[in-house]
Amino acid sequence: MNATTPHTDDFVVRRSVFLGLSILLTATGFVLMLNSYSGQTLFWEDYVCIGVFPLLFSQIAVGFILALFGFFDRLRGGDPHHLMRRPWREKEDSIPLAATAIVVPVYNEEVDRVSKGIANMWRSLEKTGQLEHFDFYICSDSTDADHWVEEECAWLSLCQTLNAFGNIFYRKRRHRINGKSGNVADFCRRWGKRYRYMIVLDADSIMTGPTLVRLVRAMEANPEAGIIQTQPYSVLGQSLFRRVLQFSGKVYGGLFSQGCSMAQMSSGSYWGHNAIIRVAPFIEYCDLPLLPVPDPGKRHVLSHDTVEAALMRRAGYGVWIAYAEPGSYEEGPPNLSDMLTRDRRWCAGNLQHFWFLFAREIEMGSRLQIWIGLMAYLCSPLWLIFLITGSFGAYFRMRFLMLSADPEDLGAATSTGAGLLLALTLALLFIPRLLGILTTLPRARQFGGTFRLLISAFLENLLSFFLAPVLMMFHTLFVLLTISGWQIKWNTQNRADKGLTFTHCLALYGWLSCLGLIVYPIAAFYLGNISLWLLPIVAGWILAPLLAWVTSGRRLGMLFRSWGLFVTPEEVEPPPELQGLDGDTDGEEPATPSPLWVQALLSPYVQAVHLSMVRQGPANGAAIPSRSLVTLRERLILEGPQALNPKEKLRLLWNGETVFWLHQELWSRPGTKLHPGWIQLQADCGKSRLLSHYLMEK
Amino acid sequence: MASINESTVTGNDGEAWNEAYDRTLNFLHTFALSDHAYVSQLAVDLIHEARELHRQDPSRDPTTLVMSHLQNRLTEWLAANLDGENRLRSHLLAIGTIALLLSRVYQTAPTSFLASPPPEELRQALRETLLVTGPDLNVSSMTPRHLDYGPMLQFARQTWHRLDVKELAIALVFWAGVYTVFYWWLSQLL
Repeated sequence: MNATTPHTDDFVVRRSVFLGLSILLTATGFVLMLNSYSGQTLFWEDYVCIGVFPLLFSQIAVGFILALFGFFDRLRGGDPHHLMRRPWREKEDSIPLAATAIVVPVYNEEVDRVSKGIANMWRSLEKTGQLEHFDFYICSDSTDADHWVEEECAWLSLCQTLNAFGNIFYRKRRHRINGKSGNVADFCRRWGKRYRYMIVLDADSIMTGPTLVRLVRAMEANPEAGIIQTQPYSVLGQSLFRRVLQFSGKVYGGLFSQGCSMAQMSSGSYWGHNAIIRVAPFIEYCDLPLLPVPDPGKRHVLSHDTVEAALMRRAGYGVWIAYAEPGSYEEGPPNLSDMLTRDRRWCAGNLQHFWFLFAREIEMGSRLQIWIGLMAYLCSPLWLIFLITGSFGAYFRMRFLMLSADPEDLGAATSTGAGLLLALTLALLFIPRLLGILTTLPRARQFGGTFRLLISAFLENLLSFFLAPVLMMFHTLFVLLTISGWQIKWNTQNRADKGLTFTHCLALYGWLSCLGLIVYPIAAFYLGNISLWLLPIVAGWILAPLLAWVTSGRRLGMLFRSWGLFVTPEEVEPPPELQGLDGDTDGEEPATPSPLWVQALLSPYVQAVHLSMVRQGPANGAAIPSRSLVTLRERLILEGPQALNPKEKLRLLWNGETVFWLHQELWSRPGTKLHPGWIQLQADCGKSRLLSHYLMEK
Repeated sequence: MASINESTVTGNDGEAWNEAYDRTLNFLHTFALSDHAYVSQLAVDLIHEARELHRQDPSRDPTTLVMSHLQNRLTEWLAANLDGENRLRSHLLAIGTIALLLSRVYQTAPTSFLASPPPEELRQALRETLLVTGPDLNVSSMTPRHLDYGPMLQFARQTWHRLDVKELAIALVFWAGVYTVFYWWLSQLL
């Protein structure tokens, strides 16, 4: 271990209070649960409920305690022992900066949005006067040829516009090994030694210059810190779904992060982006180990961040959450379907973390993080089991009571334990939300005013209420798919608020509606009034297609915004770093229908940019293409660009000699020896979006 | 699109030269030169030069001939401007075209494109452009450290690698027994 993270006595007290209160609350719930069964005949379904209950209730208890910690910390004005509040802040401006790389991994992302984000961060850094200490690395894993060629042009455009040659770099990986973590590791292996720190972003991340500078200074002042994670707030939402998410993140999210930071201190979370990392220990200790599973194809850790944080802690470096630092943003999923796509990926990743739960030399705080992450998804199937067995238990009990007709038994069924338990559960669920609103009230003006803040919070709770059963069903499905070994494909996150079609919503969520419409009448028939308990869940299922469809639209989101609902501070006073990123496409020309990648073969400028990025053959030009490559080239020329599949396009683009050869051939062959589509592409080449949007000076 | 010199070319030959002209013009348009008249003039000049070459070798297709001639002119022009006679042709064209783009010749001096001799300022501007595509590698070794997965690994190995039906059946019977005893015990307790 190269560094030691000092733990104060205070830390021990905090952790013991956190764990003690969590256990106490869980035990209270469990006792009330057992009490609600007292004097009754138990069925096997009840034992399942009793077994599952502590696990479910402990999650609610942990969430409540974290919110309580966060609230307490806010009341006292912040944690005096937190890394970002130590004495170094008094002489902050005098701390010199060290070389820092800002790493932006991209994977088939919207290129224009990514490059605008980088340009905004660059300008923001420029204003701080500390730009010389930062370099940007766009590390591409894009598998789409159009994206690749556009990324290269966007990179050149950035360098040209910002005069940033030698400070903004573009790197395209040939083999996409180990996804995003592999991409970052590839950067570390190639250029990591040049930098003391790296700030890892997501393609949609934005951080302001002052925040970036402060993070570097915080690392310089605290050599024991390995990772400082900022709290990224979701911004730029236009669809109702995304605006609701960003509102709830702003009102409640910070409170939980602050609570988590107070409880965990230097064993905090790392979420994989919007965080600064000390490069040397990261290279030395944080390369991800392979999982000990028999299938070699499944040994890669999918969700890298939690494991990297655990390895950093294991090496003796601290992982902190800088919950109070402003100027850290991201974009959330624009609709329910995209959120579920993301959740499926996260679910697979979090379940893999099970292996690290019992690994040796992992710190207690890291184990807690892993456990919380695991339970975030495992709770859904457990909740479903609880509901099913609870309903069956209720049915059997009712039948038993009716048959026995014993007045004492009937009296036992109305035990006060159940009522108390319900009250406690509701309190634990809603008090954190109330605390979030309470801490937001002093800044209500930034949320559209007190009245609108309260209305927004009420509506957000209502939407969460209906969405929770939908998420439960999908998360259960994801857990089952993961356990059964289905591979999870790493999809690009959609960040455009384009809206979902009702047909898509019916196809994806219709089965839930059918389930609700079948289950509830049956439950009502057999359970009578008890079935009312299931009504909120069934209502969520039945409404799922409608909710997904309605909330995905941009128009409704903007209507709510015009009413001042779900407003966030970034909407009231947009920081300059977010300007021009809202993806408003009104009035813009529609995207060109012609493929962009062929510009690398036709346009001399685009080709030149591409050739400068890929390795070309020996200087004597003696490289001989393989027979399959020759066939592929001829097929492209005679059958047109649409004849090639994505892998074939990439194969051609990776070969510099082939790109050059195709350029010559496509322009010099007579029309009779070309696919007719090429003639139109040649005619349109001078009007390509790549030229007008990126390469030509505006 | 205007056809060229209709009086001297006829039939299929005329169509071939029209195609050659269209192709030349389309290719020149890809350089986005801001002086459109100059581009048209350049295309006509190139066609005239290609027709001279065609007379010497009539077997060559006009489009192939004129584009080959244009590429040669471009390569020579860039080589002269960048002192790059010894470079591989594809390297030279890539570097030269990037230099054209970055020095904004297409906008500031469109008429100097393929002009011989080029203005000295242009040569200077082309030579000054430098494309930095990536910093020098500074390679580090990043390999995973050994991690002992603890008791779960032992458990997993024993269940995954030595799984047989008999053992599975014994395990199922064992746990069924445990659950039954547990059920009975809880029934007595509650």
